[in-house]
Amino acid sequence: MRAEAENIHLSYGAKEILKGVSINSQNREFVGLIGPNGSGKSTLLKCIYRILKPNAGQIFLDGTELSSMSVKASAKKVAVVAQHNYYNFEFSVREVVLMGRAPHKRALERDNANDHAIVEKALQTVGMSEFADRSFSTLSGGEQQRVILARALAQQTPCLILDEPTNHLDITHQLELMHIVKELDVTVISAIHDLNIAAMFCDRIYAIQDGKIVGQGSPEKLLTPEFIRNVYHVEAEIVRDAKGQMHILFL
Amino acid sequence: MERKAIRTSAFGIVIIALIAGLVFSILASITFGNADISVQEVYQVILYEIFHVERFSAYADGAVHDVVWLIRFPRVLMAAAIGMGLSVCGVVMQAVVKNSLADPYVLGVSSGAYLGAAAAIILGIGSVFGDNAMGIMAFLGAVAASFAVLFVSGIGGRSNAGKLILAGMAISSLCSAFANFLIYISQDRDATTQISYWSMGSLASADWDNVPVILLVMIVAFLIFWTQYRKLNLMLLGDDTAITLGTDLHKARIAYMLLSAFMVGFAVCAAGMIGFVGLIIPHAMRMCFGTDHKRLLPVSALAGAIFLIWADVACRVILDHAELPIGILVSLIGAPCFIYLMIRKSYGFGGGKG
Repeated sequence: MRAEAENIHLSYGAKEILKGVSINSQNREFVGLIGPNGSGKSTLLKCIYRILKPNAGQIFLDGTELSSMSVKASAKKVAVVAQHNYYNFEFSVREVVLMGRAPHKRALERDNANDHAIVEKALQTVGMSEFADRSFSTLSGGEQQRVILARALAQQTPCLILDEPTNHLDITHQLELMHIVKELDVTVISAIHDLNIAAMFCDRIYAIQDGKIVGQGSPEKLLTPEFIRNVYHVEAEIVRDAKGQMHILFL
Repeated sequence: MERKAIRTSAFGIVIIALIAGLVFSILASITFGNADISVQEVYQVILYEIFHVERFSAYADGAVHDVVWLIRFPRVLMAAAIGMGLSVCGVVMQAVVKNSLADPYVLGVSSGAYLGAAAAIILGIGSVFGDNAMGIMAFLGAVAASFAVLFVSGIGGRSNAGKLILAGMAISSLCSAFANFLIYISQDRDATTQISYWSMGSLASADWDNVPVILLVMIVAFLIFWTQYRKLNLMLLGDDTAITLGTDLHKARIAYMLLSAFMVGFAVCAAGMIGFVGLIIPHAMRMCFGTDHKRLLPVSALAGAIFLIWADVACRVILDHAELPIGILVSLIGAPCFIYLMIRKSYGFGGGKG
């Protein structure tokens, strides 16, 4: 699926957070958003998944204007894994994942065998099948995020938005989650803090600074020492490992 | 999948057991009371009235018939209806404001009803409604307070769970202040006593005129809420997550609040204030059966009905030749139970760290 945001402006009170941002993603492309804290990455994504309403600008999902779609219709196009929150409700893992089927359900429709099959498959994909009957609140942070990813998968959307989903997770769980997402055959738009993780997984990266796009391109082209110095004000060196994967060393 | 099937059938057994328990409770509780009537006589009256069994036509009227059929039976059904209604409202309000401390009265409903009742007794407002002017004014007060809370929480942007609780507290103290002012300036000691008794709750007003209405309201409202289980579940995840799952909860929240104010209004109108049922039953059921509202709503409805039936029986038999106000008894049982639940660490709820 293609997603486009055109010239998005958004202010909180007098403070302008997004100053005319445009991004787009091609079908099945893995697009990363990088930028310092407070640059507007998350705000931009929140506009795309409808938590925030831009003051100006338009967002299109497969060419359809977002504000003309019902929330139900957009939830069939875009699923979201947001920053990790500590939940403490007594839902079982299966019940949480089953909620991903909500956008596909009419008001009085019951969950059927097909929904349950989709839920089991989603749990399998994220490797959480054995946890299906556990209470969600008893899981670790990494496990909870995988369950939330399974819920997003159960939505069966052609596009997935990751809003810094690996915050608070250790490196094992960060890589694990990103690998699962990379294997999916969908469009991904992800805000990423860690530049090395962005370089490993993204097809294309947008850099946001101070509410504006300051660069875009493949990780190799975009992430140069000069560029990192300009955006993050740190010195860096780019090296390549034996497999040719680039790594950023901060000096 | 197999394990799931087993869990589903186990849940079916629980529901059947609770329904059986409810039927048993209704039939058994009729035999309790201050009047000295044998169990046999009780069922002969019931059988005669329901199935018109000719053999028992001796019980077609007379004192025994009146006590069983005109006093006890409607009263037991009223207890069941109100217990069910308050429990369901408790479950719903806890989801609507996403707070495990919410009960059916949280959003100013109780103070609104209190003000309505005080206005009826002291100022004589609503005397056009006839005998139950106090009940009807309490109903109007409850519904009006809910509207006020909705209106206040909607000022300056969309209402959310936090704003609802704050608005509820504000409206609540406003209504209490007015009601207490009325009580204070009134020289009528009888009226003050009447309000005070009313606020302790009683099912004594049950008769065949009001019971069918209340029973119908509670059952229909429960069924409506049961169809909404998916949205109620989403409410606990929060409004933002719900939008990404294709549901805007704003309108649903308003609709649920109004329906629940309507239910509580009916309960208050018929039986005064009965606290704690709507808090304790949802909590206890959530501990046993989890948070999924598809299961939580029916078990809470049935358990609430059974609980209030037996609480009312206790009220009728504890004191000789007098009855204890049910509100007092429920709080006496409810508070220790609640403390027990609270200190059990394994139990949590949506939102913050439980």
